[in-house]
Order: sequence, then C-alpha cells, then structure tokens
Amino acid sequence: MRGVNAALGAAGLAAFLALGEAVPRLGLVEEAYFPPTSRIAEALADETADSAFWTALGDTLTGWALGLAIASCAGIVVGVLISVVPYLRAVTASTIEFLRPIPSVALIPLAVLLYGTELRSVLLLVVYASFWQVLIQVLYGVQDVDPVADETARSYGLGAWARIRHVLWPTALPYVMTGVRLAAAVALILAITSELVIGAPGLGRRIGVAQASQAVPELYALIVVTGLLGLLINVGARTVERRALAWHQSVRGEVAV
Amino acid sequence: MLDVRGLKKVYEGSGRRVEAVRDLTFTVGAGELVCLVGPSGCGKTTLLKCVGGLLTPTGGEVLLEGRKVSGPPPGMAFVFQEYGRSLFPWMRVGENVELPLRQKDLGKARRRELVRDALESVGLADAVGAYPWQLSGGMQQRVAIARALAYEPRVLLMDEPFAAVDAQTRADLEDLVRGLWRERGITILFVTHDIDEAVYLGERVIVLSASPTVVREQLKVDLPVERDQLHTRVDPRFAELRTHVYEQIQAAKKGVVAS
Repeated sequence: MRGVNAALGAAGLAAFLALGEAVPRLGLVEEAYFPPTSRIAEALADETADSAFWTALGDTLTGWALGLAIASCAGIVVGVLISVVPYLRAVTASTIEFLRPIPSVALIPLAVLLYGTELRSVLLLVVYASFWQVLIQVLYGVQDVDPVADETARSYGLGAWARIRHVLWPTALPYVMTGVRLAAAVALILAITSELVIGAPGLGRRIGVAQASQAVPELYALIVVTGLLGLLINVGARTVERRALAWHQSVRGEVAV
Repeated sequence: MLDVRGLKKVYEGSGRRVEAVRDLTFTVGAGELVCLVGPSGCGKTTLLKCVGGLLTPTGGEVLLEGRKVSGPPPGMAFVFQEYGRSLFPWMRVGENVELPLRQKDLGKARRRELVRDALESVGLADAVGAYPWQLSGGMQQRVAIARALAYEPRVLLMDEPFAAVDAQTRADLEDLVRGLWRERGITILFVTHDIDEAVYLGERVIVLSASPTVVREQLKVDLPVERDQLHTRVDPRFAELRTHVYEQIQAAKKGVVAS
C-alpha cells in the first residue's frame, strides 16, 4: 500500500512538472513570465553553481534556526512558568490574547528602526512569530497533566522540580512538538519575508534582486528552493516527533495485549 | 502505627458545600491488614487521600507513628485504582518502579536491586524493559504494586486497586497482596467497595456509613491466616462474616443508625 502511494505521488509530481513544461511551450501563457520547467531547472542548476547562492541559503537558514531555537526555548520556559506559578496564567491570559494576533510583518518598520538590515532584524520578526506558536501549545500541553499521574508523583514525594521533569514535561511534550513544528514553518516564512522586504542578506533578498533584474527563471528557481526548504523542515520535524514520542498513543498505535 | 482522629473533610466550591467525611476515628496497628468497606460514594477515596497526605483534612488529624501527616510521608506508598493513569506511559516498567527511589538517597546498585526484587515479588521480572501499555490490566496493576513495594513503605494504602480488573485476575491479585503482606510485614490499609474482598483479605474490616461518613462498625475477621480462594470462600465463618458486613452496608445505605 505504501509503495503504491509513493508511486502515485511520484506520478502526480511528474504530471505537474510536465504540465509546467507544456503550458508555456504551447503559448497558453506568456513564456517571459511563466518559463517552462526545463528553464527553471536550468536556472536552478546555475544557482547551485554560484557560491553567492549558498551564502544566501546559509544566511536564511541561520536566521531561521537561531530564531526558531530562541522562540522555542522562550516559549517552553515561559509556558511552563505561567502554568506552574499560581495565578500567573489568569494574569497573563488577556495580554497574550492581545499580543498573539499581531502579525509579525507589522513589526517590520520597528525592526528596521531598531536593527537596520542586520540579522537581528530577521531574528526579531522570526522570534515574535514563532514564539506564540510554541507558547500556546505548551499552555495546552501542561493543562493535559493527568491528576492521577500527578497525585502518584506527589504520593511518592516527588518535589516540584521532579514533577515538572518527570510528569509535566513528558505530558506536554507532544504539544511542544506540534508547537515547534508549526513554529518551524512560520519561522521560514518570516525569515524569507523579512529578507525580501528589509533586504537582510539571504534567499529573500536574492529573490528581490532577481525580480529587479528581470531574471524570471532565477526567480522561479529561488522560489522552488524555498519550497523545498519548507518541505525538508516539515519532514525533519515529523521524524523528530515520531522518535521522541514513540510511547505516545498517536505514534504507537494499537497494541495487542 | 496509623492513627486517624476525628477526621473531617468538607469540599467547598461553586456555591456547594459537600461534607464527604464527617468524623472518622480508627487506628491501624503495625503489621495489620485492615480493609475499609462502605457503600459507594461514601468518601472512601477522600478518606484515603487524607490519610496519604494528598488532601488536607478540614478537621481532625492523621498520625503516622505518632507524627502528624501534613503531606505525603516518606514511609507511605499509595496504589491507585486507575493503574493505567498512575503508571507513566513514557517510562518503561523498570523506570516506573525506579522513579520514586530516585527521590531517596540510594545508590544506583541498591535501586536496581530493589526494582528487580519488587518486580520478582509480583511475578513480572521479565517485564522490566516493556512499556506499561504493552501489558494487560492485571499486569499493569502488578507493576504499580511493585513500584509501591520497591519504595519500602511501612504503610501501604490501596484505593480500590482491583476494581477495574476482571474477576480471575482479581482473585490472583488478592492472593498476591495477602502473600506480600505476610512475607514483608507491611501495614496495609485497603479500601474496597467489594464486601467479599474485604472479608477475604482483611484481618479486620472497618465498615463505614453512607456519606457524610463515620465508622459504623469494626469487625475482626477470625478466619485462619492461611487463606485461599477455593476453601476460604466456602468456609461457613466466611459466609457469616460477609452476611454480617452486607447487612451493615445495606443498613448504612438506608441510614439506619448502628446498634
């Protein structure tokens, strides 16, 4: 069944690529703006031969990874603190609900004012956008702690720290994983957006340059690269999730006893 | 060993005031196996959680070896009814049993030894590397019992531990508990709603009234120490005792004051 699905998926992708080749060649769309697949592939090959491309990719990944790491750590620490300290959740709830929906891109002017076109600008936007994804999931996850599990831990004299470590954290982990996976996708979007708009070094700026110089196939090639990045990030996050949560119901499936 | 004096627990919340336990006084001697039985909803679990230091009583006090219980005391272990939720699914059986020991000041070798010994006692020595959810319900409750044993408690509190397992498994587990009690000389306070179980297991049965709970009767079970499922349960004395407890519980449900 898995093999069949994979084959069908490959066939679908091949058909899509063939369509991308045929439509411009048949003159159904203007070739100058919609280059055929083969032209895009060619441009992609040229890009990979250019060391500036790799530098740009590295810059984007640095902004993405650093931002995601900071946002995840902050989201986890703040989420656990808010949940564990009495009353803190009630005190912060309305503020969180106010700050969370602010679109990160609305902060672009602020980022430019503060940090110009440096990496820190990108980080500000990436962290702001991904932090909430993680925080909200952690808050949900911590609420999911089973009272019986917690009472068991208390009855065996586990202190606050041991209960966080052995009960609260494993319970919240599936939620944390979901949060980080969502945050990883959002972080990539924000990294590219800020490079594109602010002009911080990275793939986003390279896309902007390609646009300004009318290098349409290169433009498409770079877009394909960002898409592939997103795909890889999601696959990677799912793999980590499956490994870390082998014990969890959603991963282990039904067990015969 | 264990003194419960004038214990009272009132739950207050959302405009409702529920007096779960009114006034409970009883003692459990060192090395005794006492069963608490009462009509359903009579606050047995509340009582046990107060004894275990998991709930703060509204009035009265619990003394363990003369010391007031104000939080879970180190010499006490708790076995819950919901074994599936009480064992941690993210830890293997061995880790589950070992976790409480990590809070004690024990060397790694000693911890290993205690874990192995406890799992052997419940007949699950080879399940050490399995996850709890890979085991059957009865086996999971055995793991929970092993976790309590490894903790080397002087008092073991059991809250309807066998209510959720099938009848055959239940009989095995009852014999296991009696066996462990005799072997290890632990003091056991065993809460159940099952009258037969209370009489079969206990050296003494404390019958509780309906909520708000008081002690209705204390009954010495004068059956031989050596008990087995086949013979003890058809012993005429067993039948007498269980009938007596049954009548008490029925009367408690109707709210008749004990004579």
